[in-house]
Amino acid sequence: MESIHSVSLDETRCVGCVACCKACPTKAIRVRSSLMRIDPGTCIDCGECIRACDYDAVHARTSSPSHLKRFKYTVAIPSTTIYTQFGPDFTPPQVARALVANGFDAFYDVSWMCEMVSRAVDAYLSDCGGPWPKISVTCPAIIRLILIRYPDLVPHLIPVHTPRELAAKVARRKYAASLGMQPDQIGIFYITPCSAMMQSIVAPVGLAESNFDGAFSIAEMYGPMLRTLKSDPEALPDERFNPSGLAWAMSGGETSGMRNKNSLSVTGVHDVTHVFNTIEAGKFQNVDFIEAYICPDGCVSGQLLIEGRYAARRTLQRIQARLKGESRVAEEKVRSMFRDHFFDMEDEIKAPVIEPMTETLQQAIRRRQEKHRLLEELPRKDCAACGAPDCTTFAEDILAGQAVLEDCVFVKLKMLGP
Amino acid sequence: MMDEPVLYRESFTIRGSDFEHGGDAAAAVKAAMKDLGLDAATIRRLSIANFEAEMNVIMYAYDARMDLLITPSAIRVVVADHGPGIENIDLAMQEGYSTATAEMRARGFGAGMGLPNIKRSTDSFEIESTPGQGTTLRYAVQLAQDPAKT
Repeated sequence: MESIHSVSLDETRCVGCVACCKACPTKAIRVRSSLMRIDPGTCIDCGECIRACDYDAVHARTSSPSHLKRFKYTVAIPSTTIYTQFGPDFTPPQVARALVANGFDAFYDVSWMCEMVSRAVDAYLSDCGGPWPKISVTCPAIIRLILIRYPDLVPHLIPVHTPRELAAKVARRKYAASLGMQPDQIGIFYITPCSAMMQSIVAPVGLAESNFDGAFSIAEMYGPMLRTLKSDPEALPDERFNPSGLAWAMSGGETSGMRNKNSLSVTGVHDVTHVFNTIEAGKFQNVDFIEAYICPDGCVSGQLLIEGRYAARRTLQRIQARLKGESRVAEEKVRSMFRDHFFDMEDEIKAPVIEPMTETLQQAIRRRQEKHRLLEELPRKDCAACGAPDCTTFAEDILAGQAVLEDCVFVKLKMLGP
Repeated sequence: MMDEPVLYRESFTIRGSDFEHGGDAAAAVKAAMKDLGLDAATIRRLSIANFEAEMNVIMYAYDARMDLLITPSAIRVVVADHGPGIENIDLAMQEGYSTATAEMRARGFGAGMGLPNIKRSTDSFEIESTPGQGTTLRYAVQLAQDPAKT
């Protein structure tokens, strides 16, 4: 198994088809010698390649169970999407209990922190002076997309920590104090719906080191948890959970919990690209807040979930209806924590330094002219048989010395003559 | 400036009333500028102007060509349309003046900021119009004088 960014490739299963290559929104994938290859500099960890693979060759990289043994005490912090996975009859506390029973010492709830962060973002929006609109940092693939494709939008990212990182920080402090242990004896693990959140632990943005020690996917926990739930169906009341925070499991949830309603919610890489292009063109300056998710329905459609997203959404709505509470967080307290910098990111998010162009303008012009000339020779079928996702990208690869014209089967056929 | 040699030219077409593809030409020009390695500020300023110019064509004209021209000292854009032309250019250049229909306004256009926005985000701006025939916009962003790049 070779690890490439947030995904690993099972080379024994990869047949070298081009499904992942064509699905990649940033054209980071090529197929070389019948194997998938990812350019780590261009990958945004969206996990589209995991979804696209019909041969089960592309997997999210997660922690191994042996990792848990390194710690004296282990705490699981699941994404709120986990409660949408087992149908509406299993309450969040039952799901949490089943999670702990499968390898952890304790469970820590993130839904409260979600509502607190909503309030903190409200406070940030009323204090900050733009540039507008501000963009949520909840989805790590969105952050990577902005860093790689939209560096001009970096100042739009909100420098408020994500609920998951804050929850991990608080949980470590809490358990170390109550158990009389050193903070590093406590292992804090995220239970993730997607590969991007996994990668945000390995390579965090806005902080030097993640507060998590590792992550497991909801998909890998699902089977054992379902067995536990069925063997121990005793219902538990769910009023400990924060309904507004649970809403973060799907798109629109983050904005629905905010006081500031001058926001918009956008999902899916196609629509997100459209909105970001629009912001770059100077539009949407009258919008305060943009909630953006790379997955089509927000986290509930993460590629490491089992339940289909429509059923999952319905389950979430049923849980919320049962909890039906309004805000449960003391607003003034959050404001004072905000002033005390509790929510602040440690590091400023910076656009990656772009290597100075080695090419002169004249050279760049010649390269572009050469690209147009090459495209005249190519079939424009975007069949990807050459290993690049489309003819334009293939032409760019040729000019970068990473492919040769004869890699195109149509060109080769022509060369062989009639 | 007009006598400078044109190092590179690429043309893009825009069709009037084609709201469905509104912004496509500006996006294609932006991709070309990125590919040519132009600096982010130049790309941003011209992209704002190009988007406004493109939407003007879509809203008011029949068709147009958007030309991206590179000279040693500037990135220039020429948008030449066939259309009704502008009767009173001074009025059209006033912020807030617009002849947009209610339908266009409902789509979020017609705030009367189009031409002023183009002028504001570029270093030079010229407009020529013949009523009944069409309008030509010429605008440019000067390149930072970097001997390594020229």
